Amino acid sequence: MFEAFTNQPIRLIGEDGSRTQPFELDLGVDELLQIHRDMIRSRVCDERLIPILRQGKTSFYAQSTGMEATQIGIAWGTRKKHDWYWPYYRDNGLILTLGMPLKRWISQLLGSNDDVCKGRQMPQHFSDPENHIASICSAIGSHIAPAAGTAIAQKYLGTDEITICTFGEGATSEGDWHAGVNMASANKAPCLFICENNQYAISLNVRDQTNSKNIAVKGHAYGIPGFYVDGQDVLAVRAVVKQAAEYIRAGNGSVLIECLTYRIGTHSSSDDDSRYRSKEEVESWRAQDPLVRFERFLEKEGILPAREEIEAYYGSVLAEFEEALSTSDASGYPTWEILFDDVYSDLPDHLAQQAIYVREENL
Amino acid sequence: MTMQSPEKPSSSPIRKPLNLIQAINEALREELLRDQSVLVFGEDVAKRGGVFLATEGLQSEFGKKRVFDTPLSEASIVGAAVGMCVRGLRPVAEIQFADYLYPGFDQIVSQAAKIRYRSGGGFYCPMVIRTPSGGGVRGGNHHSQSPESYFTHTPGLKVVMPSTPYDAKGLLKEAIRLDDPVMFFEPKRLYRSFKEDVPLDDYTIPFGKAATRMEGSDITLIGYGGVMPDVIKAAEALKAEGIHPEVLDLRTLIPWDREAVLSSVAKTGRVVLISEAPRTSNFMGEVAYVIQEELFDQMLAPVVQVAGFDTPYPYALDKVYLPGPNRILRAAAKSLGY
Repeated sequence: MFEAFTNQPIRLIGEDGSRTQPFELDLGVDELLQIHRDMIRSRVCDERLIPILRQGKTSFYAQSTGMEATQIGIAWGTRKKHDWYWPYYRDNGLILTLGMPLKRWISQLLGSNDDVCKGRQMPQHFSDPENHIASICSAIGSHIAPAAGTAIAQKYLGTDEITICTFGEGATSEGDWHAGVNMASANKAPCLFICENNQYAISLNVRDQTNSKNIAVKGHAYGIPGFYVDGQDVLAVRAVVKQAAEYIRAGNGSVLIECLTYRIGTHSSSDDDSRYRSKEEVESWRAQDPLVRFERFLEKEGILPAREEIEAYYGSVLAEFEEALSTSDASGYPTWEILFDDVYSDLPDHLAQQAIYVREENL
Repeated sequence: MTMQSPEKPSSSPIRKPLNLIQAINEALREELLRDQSVLVFGEDVAKRGGVFLATEGLQSEFGKKRVFDTPLSEASIVGAAVGMCVRGLRPVAEIQFADYLYPGFDQIVSQAAKIRYRSGGGFYCPMVIRTPSGGGVRGGNHHSQSPESYFTHTPGLKVVMPSTPYDAKGLLKEAIRLDDPVMFFEPKRLYRSFKEDVPLDDYTIPFGKAATRMEGSDITLIGYGGVMPDVIKAAEALKAEGIHPEVLDLRTLIPWDREAVLSSVAKTGRVVLISEAPRTSNFMGEVAYVIQEELFDQMLAPVVQVAGFDTPYPYALDKVYLPGPNRILRAAAKSLGY
């Protein structure tokens, strides 16, 4: 059992890949290797998107490189297609691991006809009802209270589902973050709040974001456990998330987890991070690569696949990516005909009038 | 082009005199009975039964799981309703006064109003936010505002304001059944001002259909919500002078009944638009725009508007601020004398 409110982040694997404490692993070899593949898949796509962006195929992208242990660990600690998720816009690794098809994600980035969101949202604002992934809203922290509501609904319906809500540390300064966490905790709602603390909200460092010792301690204010986890350690994240999810499923109310991680890339494609952080700092975190750490662990356990096998997997993800990109692009792009769909469940008169106008303009 | 659900009339001859707040209570009770996915919540709605008693008796009848009190946070109330919709429920949230919608504004505008559009129809919000609105109860700045125009400016929301007990019940039941987020403004000064016979069975009133309160051919008076009794008083005064006014009650602003408005104004050639919200960017400005756009050469006089003034709501000057029958008559005279 992991303790809440520790001073140091909870960690199972050290930088060198060795166990920091004796623990019994409840994952088989196949599962460990799948976690490894999930981390690679997320990384490959993330890196591939930079040239795609430069080619102008998409207008915006939020990188997740360096945060794979946190995002894949969350997916592995919860129940895919059973639990419900209110993620944030940087959660590429999380949504892909939850089962969102690569092409569905790429289509949203392109805003093509294959995009289930019909090109209505800027890139990285995905939505996937089939995988219980709620729709992303750019207004930071505005999904916290909705997550509380989904959890209240789950409790009312008598399911054993929980709701997982992720956000960056910047979101914890929003009023609605506090309102939403309070709403969930006051209702003993089955809600797992997870801060992916990558230490920067665009340019503002977490030290200037809050005077709290860390994010996890904010759980004290709402009477819920707050776990402080090493977000570069996929097994620690997965184990703490799993323990918290079981505690929540047992009817104990909400939990807060903070995963301490780092965003290696810039905030978004329109950001210049040299204005607010040093190269040395970025390099020191690049040296704490969660994927490398996990590979060292697999190596120590004697199950790391051969380099050629790993490289073959990289290649297969790239091929899957290119296929998704080209077929999605080939599906074409939305035109004026869908402008007025989905504003309402019907087409009120004033919209019908405007639709006539746009049709005339486009014929 | 609209696909509004048709009116579902009452099939029962049994009527009971109810005031507007009792009609709201009756609508909530019937919908809670009809559909297990309907939940009612907000500040003080359960044990207290709401500060105006709109939800009185509902918790004792339906239990704490279906009717419950929330923490004092409008953002959480609205936000939680959005999240409940995602998991398949049909929440009916109360915001204690329309003046307190603002802490929940981002949740309404960024989440509730847009989730259907931005998810390509994958998620939607069949929720209702009920809230007592408007002046006339000596509530000062922060218990008297009429903020409905803000919400008419946000695509994705439907906006309603009934003025009679019959409409309140039928429109609220329709709002709860619609698969869209509905802002349901209740004119609080009419809560207990009069009773009318309301059917005790299931009926609904479709959105986007104005009610004709009086038929006439000389001038059209159009209002909604709290001003309606004064509009009717003014119309009766005109009638006593031998002028035949037509009176329309919009009942819903989004969608609004373009057809009824245009056909009445085409008939009379004169129109006065009445609301108590501040004048600038008042929703009635849009109605005026459409009237001039469609009927410019049939008009016998310019459109005249009567509204609240562009000041914060004044505690001691309720009567000066609100458009009463005299101000409406003055506006009608301006139109008739043009």
